[in-house]
Amino acid sequence: MTLTLIEGALLVFVLGCALGAALLKDVLASVMAFAAYSLGVSIIWVILEAPDVGLTEAAVGAGIMTILFLLALANTVRPQEDQILERVRFRTVAFVGAFVLVMLATVPSLPAIGADGAANPVVSGEVTQYYLANAYEQTEVHNAVTAVLAAYRGFDTLGEAVVVFSAGVAALTVLRQEVFA
Amino acid sequence: MVEFETALLAIAAAFVVFAVVSLYRVIAGPTDHDRVIAVNVMGTNTVIAIALVSSALDAPLFLDIALVYALLNFLLSIAFSKFNVEHGGVL
Repeated sequence: MTLTLIEGALLVFVLGCALGAALLKDVLASVMAFAAYSLGVSIIWVILEAPDVGLTEAAVGAGIMTILFLLALANTVRPQEDQILERVRFRTVAFVGAFVLVMLATVPSLPAIGADGAANPVVSGEVTQYYLANAYEQTEVHNAVTAVLAAYRGFDTLGEAVVVFSAGVAALTVLRQEVFA
Repeated sequence: MVEFETALLAIAAAFVVFAVVSLYRVIAGPTDHDRVIAVNVMGTNTVIAIALVSSALDAPLFLDIALVYALLNFLLSIAFSKFNVEHGGVL
Protein backbone atom coordinates (compact mmCIF):
# COMPACT_ATOMS: atom_id res chain seq x y z
CA MET A 1 0.00 0.00 0.00
CA THR A 2 2.69 2.47 1.05
CA LEU A 3 4.88 1.16 -1.75
CA THR A 4 2.08 1.97 -4.19
CA LEU A 5 1.89 5.48 -2.71
CA ILE A 6 5.61 6.17 -3.10
CA GLU A 7 5.64 4.62 -6.59
CA GLY A 8 2.71 6.80 -7.62
CA ALA A 9 4.40 9.94 -6.29
CA LEU A 10 7.64 8.95 -8.08
CA LEU A 11 5.85 8.37 -11.37
CA VAL A 12 4.20 11.80 -11.14
CA PHE A 13 7.61 13.33 -10.38
CA VAL A 14 9.36 11.53 -13.25
CA LEU A 15 6.60 12.39 -15.70
CA GLY A 16 6.71 16.05 -14.66
CA CYS A 17 10.50 16.16 -15.07
CA ALA A 18 10.30 14.47 -18.49
CA LEU A 19 7.64 16.93 -19.67
CA GLY A 20 9.76 19.80 -18.33
CA ALA A 21 12.86 18.52 -20.12
CA ALA A 22 10.91 18.18 -23.37
CA LEU A 23 8.93 21.42 -23.24
CA LEU A 24 11.16 24.04 -21.60
CA LYS A 25 12.33 26.63 -24.11
CA ASP A 26 15.60 27.47 -22.37
CA VAL A 27 18.16 24.71 -23.06
CA LEU A 28 19.93 25.05 -19.70
CA ALA A 29 16.62 24.70 -17.83
CA SER A 30 15.88 21.66 -19.97
CA VAL A 31 19.21 20.08 -18.99
CA MET A 32 18.41 20.72 -15.31
CA ALA A 33 14.97 19.11 -15.66
CA PHE A 34 16.69 16.11 -17.27
CA ALA A 35 19.06 15.82 -14.27
CA ALA A 36 16.05 15.89 -11.94
CA TYR A 37 14.41 13.19 -14.09
CA SER A 38 17.44 11.00 -13.56
CA LEU A 39 17.18 11.49 -9.78
CA GLY A 40 13.57 10.25 -9.81
CA VAL A 41 14.30 7.26 -12.04
CA SER A 42 17.10 6.11 -9.74
CA ILE A 43 14.74 6.00 -6.73
CA ILE A 44 12.40 3.87 -8.84
CA TRP A 45 15.26 1.44 -9.54
CA VAL A 46 16.07 1.30 -5.81
CA ILE A 47 12.42 0.55 -4.93
CA LEU A 48 12.34 -2.20 -7.58
CA GLU A 49 15.44 -3.58 -5.78
CA ALA A 50 17.87 -3.11 -8.66
CA PRO A 51 20.67 -1.18 -6.92
CA ASP A 52 23.24 -1.79 -9.68
CA VAL A 53 20.99 -0.13 -12.26
CA GLY A 54 20.34 2.66 -9.75
CA LEU A 55 24.07 3.27 -9.37
CA THR A 56 24.58 3.34 -13.13
CA GLU A 57 21.68 5.76 -13.48
CA ALA A 58 23.26 7.97 -10.82
CA ALA A 59 26.72 8.00 -12.39
CA VAL A 60 25.72 8.15 -16.06
CA GLY A 61 22.29 9.78 -16.11
CA ALA A 62 22.76 12.50 -13.52
CA GLY A 63 26.54 12.91 -13.61
CA ILE A 64 28.16 12.29 -16.98
CA MET A 65 25.19 13.12 -19.23
CA THR A 66 24.52 16.46 -17.53
CA ILE A 67 28.15 17.53 -17.67
CA LEU A 68 28.40 16.41 -21.30
CA PHE A 69 25.27 18.45 -22.13
CA LEU A 70 26.73 21.47 -20.32
CA LEU A 71 30.01 21.12 -22.26
CA ALA A 72 28.10 20.88 -25.53
CA LEU A 73 26.05 23.92 -24.50
CA ALA A 74 29.19 25.88 -23.68
CA ASN A 75 30.34 25.42 -27.29
CA THR A 76 27.07 26.58 -28.83
CA VAL A 77 24.82 29.61 -28.67
CA ARG A 78 22.11 29.83 -26.05
CA PRO A 79 19.37 32.15 -27.29
CA GLN A 80 17.57 34.21 -24.66
CA GLU A 81 13.80 33.87 -24.95
CA ASP A 82 10.99 35.39 -22.94
CA GLN A 83 8.75 32.39 -23.43
CA ILE A 84 9.06 29.67 -20.77
CA LEU A 85 7.55 26.75 -22.67
CA GLU A 86 8.07 25.57 -26.21
CA ARG A 87 5.13 25.65 -28.60
CA VAL A 88 3.94 22.13 -29.39
CA ARG A 89 2.84 21.07 -32.83
CA PHE A 90 -0.25 18.92 -33.13
CA ARG A 91 1.39 16.44 -35.50
CA THR A 92 4.21 15.76 -33.01
CA VAL A 93 1.73 15.15 -30.17
CA ALA A 94 -0.26 12.73 -32.32
CA PHE A 95 2.89 10.83 -33.35
CA VAL A 96 4.26 10.59 -29.80
CA GLY A 97 0.82 9.63 -28.46
CA ALA A 98 0.52 6.79 -30.98
CA PHE A 99 4.01 5.57 -30.04
CA VAL A 100 3.12 5.63 -26.31
CA LEU A 101 -0.07 3.67 -27.03
CA VAL A 102 1.92 1.00 -28.90
CA MET A 103 4.38 0.75 -25.99
CA LEU A 104 1.54 0.57 -23.43
CA ALA A 105 -0.03 -2.31 -25.38
CA THR A 106 3.03 -4.45 -24.53
CA VAL A 107 2.75 -3.83 -20.75
CA PRO A 108 0.05 -6.46 -19.93
CA SER A 109 2.27 -9.26 -21.25
CA LEU A 110 5.00 -8.52 -18.68
CA PRO A 111 5.12 -10.75 -15.58
CA ALA A 112 4.00 -9.16 -12.29
CA ILE A 113 6.73 -7.61 -10.11
CA GLY A 114 8.16 -10.25 -7.78
CA ALA A 115 6.17 -13.06 -9.43
CA ASP A 116 7.67 -16.46 -8.68
CA GLY A 117 7.60 -19.91 -10.25
CA ALA A 118 5.58 -20.55 -13.39
CA ALA A 119 4.01 -17.08 -13.20
CA ASN A 120 7.37 -15.54 -14.09
CA PRO A 121 8.77 -16.86 -17.39
CA VAL A 122 12.14 -15.21 -16.68
CA VAL A 123 12.66 -17.28 -13.52
CA SER A 124 11.05 -20.54 -14.65
CA GLY A 125 12.49 -20.37 -18.18
CA GLU A 126 14.68 -23.14 -19.51
CA VAL A 127 17.68 -20.87 -20.14
CA THR A 128 17.67 -19.41 -16.60
CA GLN A 129 17.42 -22.84 -15.03
CA TYR A 130 20.30 -24.10 -17.20
CA TYR A 131 22.58 -21.29 -16.06
CA LEU A 132 21.60 -21.73 -12.42
CA ALA A 133 22.26 -25.46 -12.55
CA ASN A 134 25.49 -25.51 -14.57
CA ALA A 135 27.16 -22.13 -14.15
CA TYR A 136 29.39 -23.09 -11.24
CA GLU A 137 30.51 -26.44 -12.64
CA GLN A 138 31.33 -25.03 -16.07
CA THR A 139 32.92 -21.69 -15.14
CA GLU A 140 33.75 -21.96 -11.40
CA VAL A 141 32.40 -18.44 -10.85
CA HIS A 142 30.27 -18.16 -7.70
CA ASN A 143 27.94 -15.42 -8.93
CA ALA A 144 25.60 -16.67 -11.68
CA VAL A 145 25.19 -13.20 -13.22
CA THR A 146 28.97 -12.71 -13.39
CA ALA A 147 29.32 -16.18 -14.91
CA VAL A 148 26.89 -15.29 -17.69
CA LEU A 149 28.52 -11.89 -18.31
CA ALA A 150 32.15 -12.95 -18.19
CA ALA A 151 32.05 -16.54 -19.46
CA TYR A 152 28.95 -17.47 -21.48
CA ARG A 153 28.79 -14.16 -23.34
CA GLY A 154 32.37 -13.05 -22.84
CA PHE A 155 32.85 -11.72 -26.40
CA ASP A 156 29.72 -9.60 -26.04
CA THR A 157 31.09 -8.15 -22.79
CA LEU A 158 34.43 -7.49 -24.50
CA GLY A 159 32.60 -5.50 -27.17
CA GLU A 160 30.78 -3.53 -24.47
CA ALA A 161 34.07 -2.84 -22.71
CA VAL A 162 35.52 -1.49 -26.00
CA VAL A 163 32.50 0.81 -26.35
CA VAL A 164 32.84 2.07 -22.76
CA PHE A 165 36.59 2.57 -23.21
CA SER A 166 36.19 4.63 -26.38
CA ALA A 167 33.41 6.66 -24.73
CA GLY A 168 35.73 7.40 -21.81
CA VAL A 169 38.55 8.42 -24.16
CA ALA A 170 36.18 10.67 -26.10
CA ALA A 171 34.86 12.29 -22.89
CA LEU A 172 38.42 12.93 -21.68
CA THR A 173 39.33 14.48 -25.04
CA VAL A 174 36.35 16.83 -24.80
CA LEU A 175 37.14 17.71 -21.19
CA ARG A 176 40.80 18.42 -22.05
CA GLN A 177 39.76 21.33 -24.25
CA GLU A 178 38.88 23.34 -21.14
CA VAL A 179 35.73 24.98 -22.46
CA PHE A 180 35.03 26.18 -18.94
CA ALA A 181 38.33 28.02 -18.61
CA MET B 1 -0.16 0.44 15.56
CA VAL B 2 1.55 1.26 12.28
CA GLU B 3 4.50 -0.89 11.38
CA PHE B 4 7.89 0.83 11.47
CA GLU B 5 8.70 -0.05 7.85
CA THR B 6 5.39 1.33 6.64
CA ALA B 7 6.04 4.57 8.50
CA LEU B 8 9.51 4.85 6.91
CA LEU B 9 8.08 4.27 3.44
CA ALA B 10 5.35 6.83 4.08
CA ILE B 11 7.97 9.42 5.09
CA ALA B 12 9.94 8.56 1.93
CA ALA B 13 6.76 9.11 -0.10
CA ALA B 14 6.31 12.49 1.61
CA PHE B 15 9.84 13.48 0.56
CA VAL B 16 9.07 12.47 -3.03
CA VAL B 17 5.97 14.69 -2.86
CA PHE B 18 8.22 17.55 -1.69
CA ALA B 19 10.40 16.88 -4.74
CA VAL B 20 7.29 17.13 -6.95
CA VAL B 21 6.53 20.50 -5.36
CA SER B 22 10.03 21.82 -6.04
CA LEU B 23 9.64 20.59 -9.64
CA TYR B 24 7.31 23.57 -10.05
CA ARG B 25 10.26 25.86 -9.35
CA VAL B 26 12.41 24.08 -11.96
CA ILE B 27 9.78 24.59 -14.65
CA ALA B 28 8.45 28.03 -13.69
CA GLY B 29 11.56 29.48 -12.00
CA PRO B 30 12.12 32.90 -13.54
CA THR B 31 15.93 32.79 -13.27
CA ASP B 32 18.49 30.00 -13.58
CA HIS B 33 19.44 30.41 -9.91
CA ASP B 34 15.97 29.29 -8.86
CA ARG B 35 16.36 26.23 -11.04
CA VAL B 36 19.83 25.32 -9.72
CA ILE B 37 18.62 25.59 -6.11
CA ALA B 38 15.46 23.60 -6.91
CA VAL B 39 17.45 20.77 -8.54
CA ASN B 40 19.76 20.78 -5.51
CA VAL B 41 16.75 20.49 -3.16
CA MET B 42 15.43 17.60 -5.25
CA GLY B 43 18.79 15.87 -5.04
CA THR B 44 18.81 16.18 -1.26
CA ASN B 45 15.25 14.82 -1.18
CA THR B 46 16.40 11.91 -3.35
CA VAL B 47 19.25 11.07 -0.98
CA ILE B 48 16.89 11.09 2.02
CA ALA B 49 14.25 9.04 0.19
CA ILE B 50 16.81 6.40 -0.88
CA ALA B 51 18.17 6.20 2.68
CA LEU B 52 14.65 5.74 4.10
CA VAL B 53 13.76 3.09 1.49
CA SER B 54 17.02 1.25 2.18
CA SER B 55 16.22 1.06 5.87
CA ALA B 56 12.56 0.12 5.23
CA LEU B 57 13.48 -2.70 2.83
CA ASP B 58 16.36 -3.70 5.13
CA ALA B 59 18.96 -3.43 2.34
CA PRO B 60 22.04 -1.50 3.53
CA LEU B 61 23.55 -1.85 0.04
CA PHE B 62 21.19 0.88 -1.17
CA LEU B 63 22.96 3.37 1.08
CA ASP B 64 25.87 3.31 -1.41
CA ILE B 65 23.56 4.79 -4.03
CA ALA B 66 22.51 7.49 -1.56
CA LEU B 67 26.21 8.31 -1.02
CA VAL B 68 26.91 8.46 -4.77
CA TYR B 69 23.95 10.78 -5.17
CA ALA B 70 25.06 13.03 -2.34
CA LEU B 71 28.43 13.43 -4.12
CA LEU B 72 26.88 13.89 -7.57
CA ASN B 73 24.37 16.41 -6.28
CA PHE B 74 27.19 18.65 -5.12
CA LEU B 75 29.04 18.16 -8.42
CA LEU B 76 25.91 19.02 -10.42
CA SER B 77 25.29 22.25 -8.53
CA ILE B 78 28.92 23.29 -8.97
CA ALA B 79 28.83 22.46 -12.70
CA PHE B 80 25.59 24.39 -13.27
CA SER B 81 26.81 27.38 -11.28
CA LYS B 82 30.17 27.45 -13.04
CA PHE B 83 28.48 27.26 -16.43
CA ASN B 84 26.05 29.98 -15.41
CA VAL B 85 28.76 32.36 -14.21
CA GLU B 86 30.92 31.97 -17.29
CA HIS B 87 28.30 31.76 -20.01
CA GLY B 88 25.12 33.23 -18.56
CA GLY B 89 26.35 36.78 -18.21
CA VAL B 90 26.16 36.71 -14.41
CA LEU B 91 28.81 38.74 -12.50
